Amino acid sequence: MLRRFPGFALLCLFVVLFALFSVFSRRFLSAANIEDILSGYSFMAILAIGQAFPIIARGVDLSVGSNVGLGAMVLFDLNMIFGLPGYAAIPMAIAVCALAGTLNGLLVTLLKLQPFVATLATLAAYRGGVYAISGRQLYPELATQSIRDPWIRSLDAYVDVGRWIGLARLVKLPSLPLSFIVLVVVAFAAQTVLSRTRFGLDLKTVGGNPEAAHLAGISVNRVQVAAYTLSGLCAGLVAVVLVARFTTATEATGTGMELPTIAAAVIGGASLQGGVGNALGPILGAFLLGITLVGLTLIGVSQFTQQILTGLILLGAVWYDRATWDRQQAAAARNG
Amino acid sequence: MMAPEGGPKLLRANGVGKRFGSIEALRPTNFSVEAGEVRGLVGSNGAGKSTLIKVLTGAYRPTTGEILLNNEVMQLGDPHTMLRQGIACIYQHSSLVSSLSVLDNIFLGRQPITRFGLVDSRRQQLEAESLIAEYRIEVDPSAKVGLLSTVKQKEVEILKALALRARLIFMDEPTAWLSHSEVQKLHRTIMDLKTKNVGIVYVSHVLDEVFRVCDSVSIMRDGAIVWEGAIADIDRPKLVNIMVGEKLGRASLEAGAQVRRPRGTGEIRLSCRALGRKNVFYDVSFDLYAGEILCITGLVGAKRSDVVHSIFGSAPLDEGYIEMSGRKIRFRSPKEAISNGFGLVPEDRRRDGLLSAHSISDNLVLVVLEKVSRFGVLDRAARRRLAARQMDSLAIVPRNPSAVVSGLSGGNQQKVLIGKWLEAAPSVLVLDEPTVGIDVGAKAEIYAKLRAIRDAGQAVLIISSDLEEVMTISDRIAIMVNGRLEAIHDAGAANREKILAEIGGD
Amino acid sequence: MAERLSNLSRAKQLIPSAFALPFSLFFVAGIFAMLKPAFMSVDNVVGIVHRMATVGIMAEGMTFVIMTGGIDLSVGPVLAIAGLVSFFILQYGAPVFVAVLGGVGTGAVIGAINGAAIAFFKLPAIIVTLATLSIVRGSALIVGGPILHQLPGGLAYSFIGTGFVLSVPFSIWLFAGVVTVMALLQTQTTFGLQVAAIGDNQRASFLSGRPVRSVKLATYIICGSTAALAGIIQSSQVYTASATFGEFGTELDVIAAVVLGGTNLQGGKGSVLRTVIGVLFLGVISSGLNILNVPVDAQLIAKGLIIVVALSLGARAETSE
Repeated sequence: MLRRFPGFALLCLFVVLFALFSVFSRRFLSAANIEDILSGYSFMAILAIGQAFPIIARGVDLSVGSNVGLGAMVLFDLNMIFGLPGYAAIPMAIAVCALAGTLNGLLVTLLKLQPFVATLATLAAYRGGVYAISGRQLYPELATQSIRDPWIRSLDAYVDVGRWIGLARLVKLPSLPLSFIVLVVVAFAAQTVLSRTRFGLDLKTVGGNPEAAHLAGISVNRVQVAAYTLSGLCAGLVAVVLVARFTTATEATGTGMELPTIAAAVIGGASLQGGVGNALGPILGAFLLGITLVGLTLIGVSQFTQQILTGLILLGAVWYDRATWDRQQAAAARNG
Repeated sequence: MMAPEGGPKLLRANGVGKRFGSIEALRPTNFSVEAGEVRGLVGSNGAGKSTLIKVLTGAYRPTTGEILLNNEVMQLGDPHTMLRQGIACIYQHSSLVSSLSVLDNIFLGRQPITRFGLVDSRRQQLEAESLIAEYRIEVDPSAKVGLLSTVKQKEVEILKALALRARLIFMDEPTAWLSHSEVQKLHRTIMDLKTKNVGIVYVSHVLDEVFRVCDSVSIMRDGAIVWEGAIADIDRPKLVNIMVGEKLGRASLEAGAQVRRPRGTGEIRLSCRALGRKNVFYDVSFDLYAGEILCITGLVGAKRSDVVHSIFGSAPLDEGYIEMSGRKIRFRSPKEAISNGFGLVPEDRRRDGLLSAHSISDNLVLVVLEKVSRFGVLDRAARRRLAARQMDSLAIVPRNPSAVVSGLSGGNQQKVLIGKWLEAAPSVLVLDEPTVGIDVGAKAEIYAKLRAIRDAGQAVLIISSDLEEVMTISDRIAIMVNGRLEAIHDAGAANREKILAEIGGD
Repeated sequence: MAERLSNLSRAKQLIPSAFALPFSLFFVAGIFAMLKPAFMSVDNVVGIVHRMATVGIMAEGMTFVIMTGGIDLSVGPVLAIAGLVSFFILQYGAPVFVAVLGGVGTGAVIGAINGAAIAFFKLPAIIVTLATLSIVRGSALIVGGPILHQLPGGLAYSFIGTGFVLSVPFSIWLFAGVVTVMALLQTQTTFGLQVAAIGDNQRASFLSGRPVRSVKLATYIICGSTAALAGIIQSSQVYTASATFGEFGTELDVIAAVVLGGTNLQGGKGSVLRTVIGVLFLGVISSGLNILNVPVDAQLIAKGLIIVVALSLGARAETSE
């Protein structure tokens, strides 16, 4: 009963759902719709990858939504109020988000707060921060303007894959939004870190058996801080992507993102018990959520029902995670 | 099979001792092991065994003494540093990460890396393979640890220690959870390690194994090593005798004066038939009579507590059933057991028994809330009466129902725990190590109480590793060894030597 | 011996810490009063308590949940849906008490679902209640849409939120009533004793035959019910019901109040009476910040900070015992 099984089952589920929706709605398989899904959920996938790090360390990051909002507003302010060009503002915004993640890590390690409490508190604090620095409130005239910086706007590009490959004449392939390209890069980097670097192994050790980590000389605190910093870093990337797409940032940017990211990460195999997870699973989880919600919209199911379904999916994922864990524990005890 | 006499000492601990405040857990002790020697370390609970191990492996910093490995003074007090200097410990609980591979676990925290900062799996593989070949431990490097059997996991832990160039390996109860053939396998590995001049300290209560695999043995009691020598110079009964102390002689004399009631009134209150839990205990059968005290004794690790918890419903029961009042039953929860007249005073009173932040009165009523309430509302008067009743009956000090339990002495805490269950008036009362860590006075009071309720017709089952206690208070003595019930004797007729031998597993 | 020592240090801590909380409350109130004398006016004080009635009622219900080591993040949407359910029942023409019963019943049912998933299926409380937060919010939006519903003009229902008895707002009477019931539950019933026992030592409670899972389930039912009651009060106060009420931040206020009241978030010691002080504390801080014209955003930051500081101090006190 390999842990890889859920991944395989996940892939199958993904394919099945995809097929189902394609049958029920002709629009589903269209290039335009795929573009919608990609641009609508790539950022969610990036956040889910970021969420995987704290979860693998047996924690959780509830503040990702507020962190995204913070980064978005910082970018907005830097560009619109201080006039910083994109190539300077973007790295700074990302850095702010990463630091916010570091703060989460410090709260968990230095103050020994439970992760959900610490990130619940920062969820509030960072959202407050968004309001505090909101350029739109300080300079109300900016509220109606959109960002014109070329560096930022270029991030909303779409890459016409079809033309590159040359298949454009045969079939209309979806153009890939840049957020998807970013996702691919992040996924590659994250997967490398998680499975091929010492840090990735240390992370799984800290989450899987903190005592063993301590005995092995691993600095549990440093690993945890790094995990939350990485989550913040991903939030920063997403903030930039969202600002590019909407050419503005609002006080509400990022609200409510914590739930889908946790759901996506758990569905993707990052066990809440700690020690298990990879970068590809959360992506599948995020797009699973994505095609479900988009597919449902196309069929005509209301937004509100989708909210219910997101919650139900999270419950189901968590229940499955727990059931698998219990089954593995029982098998280990019998295995002797 | 003996390592050369007077050879170079691998480990030499001089005068290591450990104090906690005014309590001396380990008296200044000398302990030395030679390269290629397998030293057994035995002793009862509280003998100081685990303190010595913790001092030698770095979990504790000793208050006195020094430790030398290969004649070099070691830096103490941190397991990781000790590990780096060459002393490894394979604990009972796993220090492996089940979601990672064997390879990653062997090099936990220090996997070799390439120029680009990535893990160099090829070098890992090569190093692991050479280790596996050198020490003849067969394990698949790419296997996920969580899927391996327990004995294979132990071998991975050994490989992990060897990869760190450990010269001395402590094995703490290494054969817990292992089957017979797996134990053999582990012993073969130990023999191989011997030939490589690795020193091993084999900490175990399974005397069979100690006699089979060790060259020498150190016996601990009361915080010090009381006997040390070649295994060939001692036999099992003598070893057990030394372990549990000569107080036994005195206790036997006193006990002879007590009235014994084996099989009590003749009415069977509890019948256990072929109880079993996979990999823990097997085929345990016995009857318990009203009006008697049956003591189940044995060494730690005989799995007596496991049997009792399985009966009580707080742990699984795979095979067998129990019979109470003519009904064949298996309890699925403590609640069910309690409503069927079963009571269990658990071994660890702090962890499993008491509400430390609550009052004596609150603790006393915890099982019998229905008795002190009407429609869910607490009846203060009834509660006061109940508390007074138990505090008087057991002479609990301070006689203040609102006193917080964490402030009581160990003896009084235990009395509160016992009082709580006496209130429930169960038809079968089980006490697991009822007088551990309790002063002599309180012990005597508790024994008197137990005899009193026995005389009143109560069926009492006591689990005890304290042979003095067992000889003092039991009407019948049952002996468990390694998860099996080996024999039951009438206490009055019990031959002390025979019991010692049986406990040791002869 | 070592235990005798811990008794002493426990006594040393017990005495000051019992007064530490009310002391801090008056201290902080005093500071605000000095900065703006208007703070101490009767009007303002009554206003604080009035505003905190809904949060207070929810905090009372949350206390038991937290004492047994759980948490309920879904109280906000429960508040909203309860108001909606009452509204629909009233619209149907049923009497007020049926509407109230229906609303509270809805909260109880949702609490039961939370409790079942957490206590019986052993799923983590944060995630479960995070999920039900979404599920309930979505359900509320489906049932009532994102709009505001004007309550039918009946006087009886609006009395709940706006009426006065003996010149004290009825909502404060309700708060007092809830506190009384909860305090009685905690101190006079076997249920209260079991909640405290589970918080102190769950394993010992289990081995003593207490129905741990059922007790935990009950705590969530109570929490859902109090959240629903708060929703009814709120909708009555503003004459409207909406699926958008109980917005984000509500659950933070409630948790902050309980934590400020000294209840340990990891489960264990707690008291519904001390939660009242926590509620007042939160009210004083909110009101004080408002009077000083501190913007909403900074208040959010402050609340986050408060939770963090209160918890670290609590954790420090635990370890030094």
